[in-house]
Amino acid sequence: MDVSINGARILRTFENVPLFGTVQITQTLTVSWLVMLIITGLCIWLGSGLKVTGISRRQAVAEMGYHAIVNFVRGNMGPEFDRYIPLVCAIFVTSIVSNLISLLGIWSPTADLMTELAWGLVVFVLITYHKIKASGILGYLRGFLDPIFILLPINIMSECFTPVSMACRHFGNILSGTVISTLIYAALTVASNALFDALGSSLPVAVIVTLLGLLPAIRGYRQKKKRIMIPGIIVAVLGMLAVITHLGVRYPWLTIGLPAIPSLYFDWFGGCIQAFIFCTLTTLFIKQAAGD
Amino acid sequence: MDLYQSLVTVNPVTLIAQICNLFLQMLLVKIFFLDKIKAVLDARREAADKEITDAKQAREEAMVIKAAYEQNMLESRARADSILREAQQTAARRGEQIISDAQRTAAQMKQKAEMEIAREKKRALNDAKDEISEIAMGIAGKVVGRALTPEDHAQMVDHFIDELGDEA
Repeated sequence: MDVSINGARILRTFENVPLFGTVQITQTLTVSWLVMLIITGLCIWLGSGLKVTGISRRQAVAEMGYHAIVNFVRGNMGPEFDRYIPLVCAIFVTSIVSNLISLLGIWSPTADLMTELAWGLVVFVLITYHKIKASGILGYLRGFLDPIFILLPINIMSECFTPVSMACRHFGNILSGTVISTLIYAALTVASNALFDALGSSLPVAVIVTLLGLLPAIRGYRQKKKRIMIPGIIVAVLGMLAVITHLGVRYPWLTIGLPAIPSLYFDWFGGCIQAFIFCTLTTLFIKQAAGD
Repeated sequence: MDLYQSLVTVNPVTLIAQICNLFLQMLLVKIFFLDKIKAVLDARREAADKEITDAKQAREEAMVIKAAYEQNMLESRARADSILREAQQTAARRGEQIISDAQRTAAQMKQKAEMEIAREKKRALNDAKDEISEIAMGIAGKVVGRALTPEDHAQMVDHFIDELGDEA
């Protein structure tokens, strides 16, 4: 079986667009717009019908989220950087929704390096702005010769790689999750086909397997022994699926449900943690640039 | 046949579009969520501040009123005391006056009574004198056998009275 892992699907290609040349509209863009729609809808829903007293549960959640994001930015940067709250909030929410949208089987925009690079470049511009503001243009340029002029190329590289490293960290984690999910899916498909082809090759085998599972399942149910009942149910279900396969319905049954277990880590945990890390780095880098 | 990008592609259009998307998203989040929540929180804070200020003001006003009330109470108590004292003094004065009036009246009455007694006594004496003198004249006339002269008469009466008075 061939497993191909691709980037975003190209939906439309426009040739000879002035200034840009060939323009490809990819899934990254369309899903990004979908993500923006979701977030904006969520914002409108959470931000409507707000009251000063006697608040609803929805408003309590909205205020909790607001306090969380404000405290996060103030905790990392201090109160004088309140104007970056919308930026950090937008990056965080977009990142989380983009990461988790892959759970619905939709292409995750954060699995495209360009998304994270865009965010990284915005942060890079802000970092540079604050560095120049803090020490002047000459002081900023002199910083590249620090501590010794020989380090100039390394300093320039380290400066330029800030957005690249931020982008690649996020991208790599999401992409690896996507790759591993694809690999697990493919492996389960192969295993499923092999298993059910073997079991379903003859009807008696399939029926015997079903019965072999049903007997301990029923016994375990009567004696209320889960240790006997659960394996029995599993074997019985496998046997029944083999019967269905023998009847001609061929489907990689093992890919139902099982990939959700690793996705709990790679998509949920990884997605949330990467959004958090990106925002933490954003705030810390800007603070550091402005600080000294 | 679907076309795919390779896993890592640099696509300037996507890059620029994503930068624009980020700014747009920032704006949307700010307008529809952050600003609204902030406005509500500010309104709540203002309401709380106003409540506290109002309470403080009401308290101050109450303190002023209380102070004025206490001042009034103090003044009225003092005034009541002074009125009472004046009344007591007036009463005492008046009592003394009444007593002295009564004493004076009593003294006058006593004096008057004494004078009357004395007058009565004198009149009784005069009456007795007249009667006695008449009786004595009668007796004396009978004894002497002649009518006494007025001089004799007066002399005898005086003599008699003197003797009477000594005995009395």
